[in-house]
Amino acid sequence: MVRLITHNLLACHAKGCNANNFPLQFKDVEIEIREAEFNPDFLRGFLPKIEWKALVDSARQIGDTSLPAEQPEMVDDDFLKSLHHVLLELHIEEGSMTCPNCSHVYPISNGIPNMLLAEHEIA
Amino acid sequence: MRGYLFVFAQSHSEFRIPEIQSIAELYGFSLQLPELESVGPFVVIGLEKEDHARLLAKRCILLKSVYEFWGQGSTYEELHNSTRAHKSLWDPYQQDTSFRFFVTAYNHTIPQSRQRQIMEDFSYMAYLGKIELKQPELVMGCFEEYDDTRGLAKNRVKDGNFRQVYFGRLIEEGSARALIGHFDVKKRAYYGNTSMDAEMSLLMANQTKAAPGSLIYDPFMGTGSMAYPTAHFGALVIGSDIDGRQMRGKEKPAGVFRAATQYGLASRILGLFTFDMTRNPWRCGDLFDAIVTDPPYGVRAGAKRLGRKTEPSEKHKEVYRERLASGRTDQPYIPPTKPYELSDLARDLVLLSRYLLKPGGRLVFFLPTVTDEYEDVDIQSMLCEGMEVIANSLQDFGSWGRRLVTIKKTATTSFPPPVFNTNDDTSWLGPSGHVPAHKDFREKYFQGFRKENS
Repeated sequence: MVRLITHNLLACHAKGCNANNFPLQFKDVEIEIREAEFNPDFLRGFLPKIEWKALVDSARQIGDTSLPAEQPEMVDDDFLKSLHHVLLELHIEEGSMTCPNCSHVYPISNGIPNMLLAEHEIA
Repeated sequence: MRGYLFVFAQSHSEFRIPEIQSIAELYGFSLQLPELESVGPFVVIGLEKEDHARLLAKRCILLKSVYEFWGQGSTYEELHNSTRAHKSLWDPYQQDTSFRFFVTAYNHTIPQSRQRQIMEDFSYMAYLGKIELKQPELVMGCFEEYDDTRGLAKNRVKDGNFRQVYFGRLIEEGSARALIGHFDVKKRAYYGNTSMDAEMSLLMANQTKAAPGSLIYDPFMGTGSMAYPTAHFGALVIGSDIDGRQMRGKEKPAGVFRAATQYGLASRILGLFTFDMTRNPWRCGDLFDAIVTDPPYGVRAGAKRLGRKTEPSEKHKEVYRERLASGRTDQPYIPPTKPYELSDLARDLVLLSRYLLKPGGRLVFFLPTVTDEYEDVDIQSMLCEGMEVIANSLQDFGSWGRRLVTIKKTATTSFPPPVFNTNDDTSWLGPSGHVPAHKDFREKYFQGFRKENS
């Protein structure tokens, strides 16, 4: 399954697709919510790696509006709990991810996205 | 520092010191190792606190038990002198502590009568407490270590002719060895013919210093052998593979998720992705605490990368162009792949790891080597600036073996995403032109490691 934590780390990598290639857009997704262990230290450590706007937009795209549009300066427990839920508990099982730039479609099947590139897409 | 007697399992002896070093580093304490590496199961190691011994015994796969070191000698006279010199350690138990005392030997069985004699010879300790076999407050062990005489049936060991004898107080029985059974591949809901055995995958997990909150990546995920033990120790794991079938299997849900669910670790498998490590979609670097992997080296499954071995035929090109033009997506498209030579792969893996690891992060992977041809420079030749080998342990299969290599990202700066060599040229050999012995390992394996000029 794709969770927003990994989705936030992936950009389209087709040949020549270097700008506006992130975040990949979800389409026709099937979502399951599954509980994950809450680890505030991990989340605090991971925060600097997050592209905030991409995370919020992607979460909204799949129907979760719990995160504020701007990353709050105060990192408190309530905030970490919503962040935890969005990053780790939403599982995209089926559907696809499309590059906003080159429109390459990465299909997700059985929870595993196929991100192999075709011959004409490798540099 | 005080001495502790470590009793190791008699397997994978080259792996045990790197393992305890990794776990000591994980918990942030130091070790004082003996100058000479021992081949037997008994090693005296210095620690600052008894608790450190307990932490190691709970986590190290090759550690059977840890004792407080009370004495050692090549004769009993030497042992007793050494024990008397450590009186302050055993004195506190003299008055009122229930105890059990056992005498045992490695590579030998001591006759009962001599066992009794050995115990009686410790009477100068003058213990007054009750002897209690079931739940004693204190357990003391005396270990004779004999030379290995396997295959030497005629020269049977002479009783009492030991190499060294050790004595100490039990601090903790190792509990991590039980995980070998827990992660037994045969009992796993999903595995393949290249799955790593449980003991080795646990040792690999310990080399990564996996702990709650660490983020770990396997770029040759396969059936996920290393993901389960690393996740068991608390890490969050991401896997990718060029061949999704390995991760998926034939049933639903995908095999790796089924096995993780069996172990109660599904929530720690963050995600699985099908892509070629050298054509990866990672948005940024400095992400992972460790990268752990067992790259396919071609004996049972060869490594692959995207591309073609040879130029496609005109007809093939035409079909491909037609497909592109039609925009058909009803059939899943399977791009062509070509073999990925092992020494290229190893170098690329180190380069990619330098980009993806956080500073101080570790790359842990197996590299097969040809025993007669291996040189340490083979490992050095795959390194790049900012990446240093911190452990290199051989599992010996005779004419070949595999080395568990642990490389640390010592660089504190970030690196740009690596550009991989996609042609099969040899410019990467550099000015020295060293060809590592693991180059073309697959071919060498199937030729039975014959020397070219023989």
